Amino acid sequence: MGVFAIDTSSATVGAEIRRHRPWVRWTVVTLVLAALFLLVAQPVGWILFNSVHDDTTQQWTLSNYVRLVTAKGMLQPIFNSIILAFSTAAISTLLGVPLAWLVARTNMPCRGLIRMLTLGAFVTPSFIGALGWILLAAPNAGWLNTVYRQISGGDLPLFNIYSMGGAIFVCAIYTVPYTFTLVASALDEMAVELEDAATTLGAGVLRTMFSVTIPMVMPSVIVGFILSFIQGMTLFGVPAFLLTPSGTSVVTTKLAEFYQLFPPELYMAAAYCMPLLLLTGGLFWVRRKILGRRRFVMIGGKSRAGRTIDLKGWRWAGLSFALIVPVTAVLLPYFALIVVSLSKAWGQGPSLNNLTFHWYRWAILENAETQAAIANSLIYAAIGASLCVLLGTLIAYIVERRLVAGTTIIAALTNLPIIIPGIVLSVGFFAAYTQPPLSLYGTSAIIIAAFVATFLPIAYSHGGAMLKGISPDLERVARILGASESKTFTSITAPLMRSGLISGWLLVFIPIMRELSVAVFLITPSTNVMTTLIYNYKDGGNYEAVAAASVLLLVVTMVVVAIAQMLSVKLAKHKRASAEIGVAT
Amino acid sequence: MSQIQIRGLQKSFGQFQALKGIDLTVEDGTLLALLGPSGCGKSTTLQLLAGFETPTAGEIRVNDRVISSPQGVVPPERREISLVFQNYAVWPHKTVAENVAFGLQIRKVTRAVLEEKLSKTLKTVHLDHLADRYPSELSGGQQQRVALARALIVEPSILLLDEPLSNLDAHLREEMRFEIRRVHDLLGLTTVYVTHDQGEALVTANQVAVMNGGSVQQLGSPREIFELPANAFVAAFIGSNNVIKGLLTGPGTLRFGEQSLVGNDRSGAALGEHITLCIRPSKVRIVGANPGVTNVLPGTVLRTAYLGEYCDVLVDIGAGLSVRAFTPPSVDYRVGQIVLLHLPEQDCHLLQSENRV
Repeated sequence: MGVFAIDTSSATVGAEIRRHRPWVRWTVVTLVLAALFLLVAQPVGWILFNSVHDDTTQQWTLSNYVRLVTAKGMLQPIFNSIILAFSTAAISTLLGVPLAWLVARTNMPCRGLIRMLTLGAFVTPSFIGALGWILLAAPNAGWLNTVYRQISGGDLPLFNIYSMGGAIFVCAIYTVPYTFTLVASALDEMAVELEDAATTLGAGVLRTMFSVTIPMVMPSVIVGFILSFIQGMTLFGVPAFLLTPSGTSVVTTKLAEFYQLFPPELYMAAAYCMPLLLLTGGLFWVRRKILGRRRFVMIGGKSRAGRTIDLKGWRWAGLSFALIVPVTAVLLPYFALIVVSLSKAWGQGPSLNNLTFHWYRWAILENAETQAAIANSLIYAAIGASLCVLLGTLIAYIVERRLVAGTTIIAALTNLPIIIPGIVLSVGFFAAYTQPPLSLYGTSAIIIAAFVATFLPIAYSHGGAMLKGISPDLERVARILGASESKTFTSITAPLMRSGLISGWLLVFIPIMRELSVAVFLITPSTNVMTTLIYNYKDGGNYEAVAAASVLLLVVTMVVVAIAQMLSVKLAKHKRASAEIGVAT
Repeated sequence: MSQIQIRGLQKSFGQFQALKGIDLTVEDGTLLALLGPSGCGKSTTLQLLAGFETPTAGEIRVNDRVISSPQGVVPPERREISLVFQNYAVWPHKTVAENVAFGLQIRKVTRAVLEEKLSKTLKTVHLDHLADRYPSELSGGQQQRVALARALIVEPSILLLDEPLSNLDAHLREEMRFEIRRVHDLLGLTTVYVTHDQGEALVTANQVAVMNGGSVQQLGSPREIFELPANAFVAAFIGSNNVIKGLLTGPGTLRFGEQSLVGNDRSGAALGEHITLCIRPSKVRIVGANPGVTNVLPGTVLRTAYLGEYCDVLVDIGAGLSVRAFTPPSVDYRVGQIVLLHLPEQDCHLLQSENRV
């Protein structure tokens, strides 16, 4: 059978073992760690370093922090942010949890449609939603207010979207999908036997709900609340559009102010990031605690769909409640944006002689700025998503299969961007890459790198989930049959992940396309992307052009998603076909 | 010709010592079963043999070539060892033929050789008609054969089997025991078979190593393991067993309460030490008054069960101990009835409770 040289000398034994040092593994691990350092550790390090330096003298100082606490106008934005975030989270929980229950557990009509439209709110960038709501509810020209004035005959507007209430409303309707998805999937995945057990013990519908169902989904509700709170804290576009005009600042818009000063107060901005970082970091820690302890929510039989509760006469009342989010977050703002983008002047209201395709022609064919931004968005998002998925998957592989010691640290570093608001990461990248030796300011590389860093946690957790589904034994078999580590990865692991990689790519591509805050300090006129262009145009007040650009952004994103989905289906078919040709017997 | 020598093998995971130093020699062509409860270290031993883990101390040699030592390990792909996993680990994206052929493709054999070996191996495990199926279209038993064929086709010098039957249903499991035995006898491979099922170990193996708590309790043939267990753990783990704890008071004599019981002393204990008397329920007899034999214990019937071929009678013998006896089904006993138990001297083993390393 096996032919072995008999050798007993320990010197040759050592040599044999040394020959098998896994060079490929060490090279890959080194490259990955270097990328992780450059993308995450370095920018965050610069924020910390800059926050204890003086803007004018460059000396070590704590004066930035002293200013943060004592100077006038520094603490108010932080309070405003907390008010915005807390109200957002409260409203999004109050809307999202009943919505999830109605969709997952009752016989309310049109549940599929509601689920789809709520997810539509998920993929809509909230700053575009804010634009839609400016068109609808600006105090003077907003359509809803115009209609209201005509009906009531008065002068006062019904809504003023340029207010804290308006900002809370818009933030909330776009964070409901987080709560909704979390709670609905907890309800979907909860083993129905758990509820049946309570029912057979004599508990009624309500008793079962309060003693089993609600406690079981409680962790998801709390996590949803925390995620919504973080959204409310870190969103930049919505407050910039809705609060800045009335002179109200929140943390994120205040950060932008430091950059717009002349000379910009970059080190002060770094210090100003700290309260935000502490808060998001603390909340993620709480979230982790909750999820870690209550892991059982996700476990359970998927044997049957849960029992549906008959709402009887309340079915239509349920539906009208369930329609709140789809109508306010998707239907109304999309309608406003589409109509305005097709109008010569939106103040004239929707009518046939106001109809024009001018703004689309202008954006696609005539205006070099929008053309460049569309191209940039697509190129940066495609390259960024590819690099991000590559890096995230490799890190997940290293961590899941414990290729090196210290995987906990690697995982923590990879996940760090989750707690870093986009605007803060932007501050970090600005500090790290606008001075020698790494002077990348004005290049596309800095923007792509910032996108990769921002969404690395998504790619990483997706990669980890894929790898958890691939038993390490499948790889070990290949090793034991004679395949090297790299051969095993390319012939077993990678093919098994293939369709998962495309969905991972989309999971990163979509948010990059719609990301505004991380790009906002890093772009220059030649590297503008669609989101930053929309942001800049909005300041110009040309709402028709802004609306057309927003609609284009949504359409372009959807087209790419559709192509990728088709590709993934085709790939699956191709794999199957080629496998069938394979080896004949 | 492949002989495996394991010397002083230890493995720790952090504070936990999974293997406390084991010594085993597997002669060429032997099928050794590593038998023990979960957490006994049998799977760790297999992982070390396969080269997925580095030992903390000790070494593994194959034909005097060191393949594992704390200084480093020859990686799995250079060991000429095949491993069949508990969950089969059949690649879902490859057909049966592609799964089985993988090892040969890695070795870059010519197409003609590959096809010939593939069809021969598939025939060996009775899978030739399913070559183009995907694993999702196969039953558990068929997937298990794919895993076996894939391991065998590369003509390894050693075959490792990690609980290969534990995911099969009871009926199939019985059938596959003999299948593995047949393939082993056909190819004469040195094989290490990890299982927690004594039935599997007894049917398939030439040699059985009973493991517990990270050390080998006994190494021997299936008959030796069953009939001459080295200690109370082995006796209890293989088959049913009764345990009576007491003091060694004379040569081959155990004192239990007021009673002296005589048996085969294999404990190596000194007089006055605590030892254990083990006897199989099938050897315990229930006798009438004045039976004229020694080693008789009075007791009260606690529970009886009629099992068709025999009765399973549980008897309380005091001091919180009870003895099970398998008695002929023709006699009925009542719960609460006082009976006399005869423990035949030649079937009583006086043992240490467990080997300590």
